Amino acid sequence: MARSRLPWSLARRELRHEWQSAVCFVAALVGILAPLLVMLALKNGMIGTMVGRLVEDPSNREILAVGAGRYGADFYDGLAARPDVAFLLPSTRSINAQANAVRNADARQLERAVTLIPSAPGDPLVGAPAVSDGTLWVTATLAEKLGAAPGATLEMIIEREIDGRAERVRRDLSVGGIVPRDLYGRDAVFLSLNDLLAVERFRDDRTITPDTWTDARPAPETYASFRLYAATLSDIGPLLKHLDALGAQARPRAENAELLLNFRQNLNLIYTLLATLAVIGFWAAMAANLRGMVERQRIVFSLLDLLGLPTRDRQLVPVLQGQILVQCGILLTLVIVLPVTFGINLMFADGGPDVIATLGWRDVLATMALGAVTGVTATVWALRAIVSIKPSEVLRRA
Amino acid sequence: MAGNALHIRNIGSHLEPGFAVVIEAIDIDRGEVVVLDAASGTGKSTVLGLVSGAIPSDDFPDSVHVVAGQDMSPGAPHPGPQNLGFVLQTNTLVPYLDIRSNISLPLDIAGMRPDPDWFGHLCARLGIRDLMQRKPHQISVGQRQRVSIARAFLGRPALLLLDEPVSALDPANAEIVETLISLLADEAGSGVLLASHQAARGIFASARRTSYELRVFEGVSYSVFGGGDAALDACPAPRKLAGGVM
Repeated sequence: MARSRLPWSLARRELRHEWQSAVCFVAALVGILAPLLVMLALKNGMIGTMVGRLVEDPSNREILAVGAGRYGADFYDGLAARPDVAFLLPSTRSINAQANAVRNADARQLERAVTLIPSAPGDPLVGAPAVSDGTLWVTATLAEKLGAAPGATLEMIIEREIDGRAERVRRDLSVGGIVPRDLYGRDAVFLSLNDLLAVERFRDDRTITPDTWTDARPAPETYASFRLYAATLSDIGPLLKHLDALGAQARPRAENAELLLNFRQNLNLIYTLLATLAVIGFWAAMAANLRGMVERQRIVFSLLDLLGLPTRDRQLVPVLQGQILVQCGILLTLVIVLPVTFGINLMFADGGPDVIATLGWRDVLATMALGAVTGVTATVWALRAIVSIKPSEVLRRA
Repeated sequence: MAGNALHIRNIGSHLEPGFAVVIEAIDIDRGEVVVLDAASGTGKSTVLGLVSGAIPSDDFPDSVHVVAGQDMSPGAPHPGPQNLGFVLQTNTLVPYLDIRSNISLPLDIAGMRPDPDWFGHLCARLGIRDLMQRKPHQISVGQRQRVSIARAFLGRPALLLLDEPVSALDPANAEIVETLISLLADEAGSGVLLASHQAARGIFASARRTSYELRVFEGVSYSVFGGGDAALDACPAPRKLAGGVM
């Protein structure tokens, strides 16, 4: 036998000889590792799914302006330049962001008090083609009520009251598309900023007449509100702080997004603590087990020294045994845990693509690497014991 | 140089306060058998430990420790199975290796391949040929001792150390094993240093003995082996001891 293979052969053959002890140790490792990996799979799966849903819905990244302000070009340019801003558009006061009615003449359907939302290319709620002057997108709920489909023409009706006298204007707008219900669940119309500003000016400025209300006019110097979307969920917090520093009152549309992110962070922390405790316990058990194995084979190690096996090779024996035991334990754990996660997903599946429990290859590799490091470091005690075993012990054994 | 298998001058070890085992002079040639002739408890096993290097020698003046031409000072590399074989009193084997692996273990450690003819011859002579696949716990005490002897002889060592090799055997078996050892040592060309309290009779009865005496010097008892031999003329024991331990 090649000398380089001798420590491996000794380690392997001793484990096979002492198979009952080895099996007990592997079983103990599986007992620690399996619940830990199932917990990790559940954490990954459930939190991943919840966060995934949050991330997939752009509404959760929306920051709502509270009240009316006076936001000028500096405000918008500064915000638009930030990498954590995904979409930004000026808006009017909320009182003006409402049509008195929207009518589909063809279907003879009319809906009153319809919310008007300014939109532009890049709007996370609106697809292609983006809205432009004279076109709009309607939400799925409104489209259903009006019987509207892309390509249809809707009539927007705006009213104002001057000196107790009501004035009404109408404008035909072409439907560019339908905003899906899961992106916006209420009745609303997405139209260009120019078209929304025309509504505001008609209501606020009595010099503008029904005949001239759609004429092109210079953009205002300030706007009362804005539509703002953060690039990611975790950008919401910093953006809110920035807005606060600018004196702009705002709040996140999805208050629970931040809570969930915090929950995820806390859960990660709790899991890390649990895993650390488990690893420490496993490390201590392994260190004691390997030290015990060396003690049981004390005379053999003394004999190996007497026969000339170098200290380094003798020390390799428990190191290799530790690695064999740990990796066997991890493999056996995976053999148990992977079907368990599959079963959990099967049991709690709701027909959707979401999973309850999942383990990624990174988790598996990290577990194996952590096991390897734990195995190596846990042998330190055993290694020191081997150095202390002298070849003379086997002479004096009798 | 005298003793082409073993050449020792003035090595020893303080086993405990007030007691030391010292080898003043031992020379053994290949093919020669030397018996450590002393009562139980005088330190014969310690002498073998000192000779093998398993027990490091304390710092004595003018120490010489050479096995088959190789310096055995503390820290020197292991002499290897071709130079040194050791049969332990306890016939200790590695319990998780089969008999074949136990026999070839010293050569495996040295990275050497056993001579298959010599391996087969040894096992046949010792009557253990059919035990190769068994584990140590599956054979008798006598068989274990024969396996230990095969392990020590496999490298055809220049020097073979035997520590009470037949003490666990009944008289009939002891005589057979001693005869085998003598025969195999002759075939291997090994010098033999034998520690045995039974060597006054049997095949080693006529072998050369090392002298033994207990000396007390400044309250310390010295179990001295090899003092007063012809070789010692060049190395007076009292002066060396006095110089070594004071």
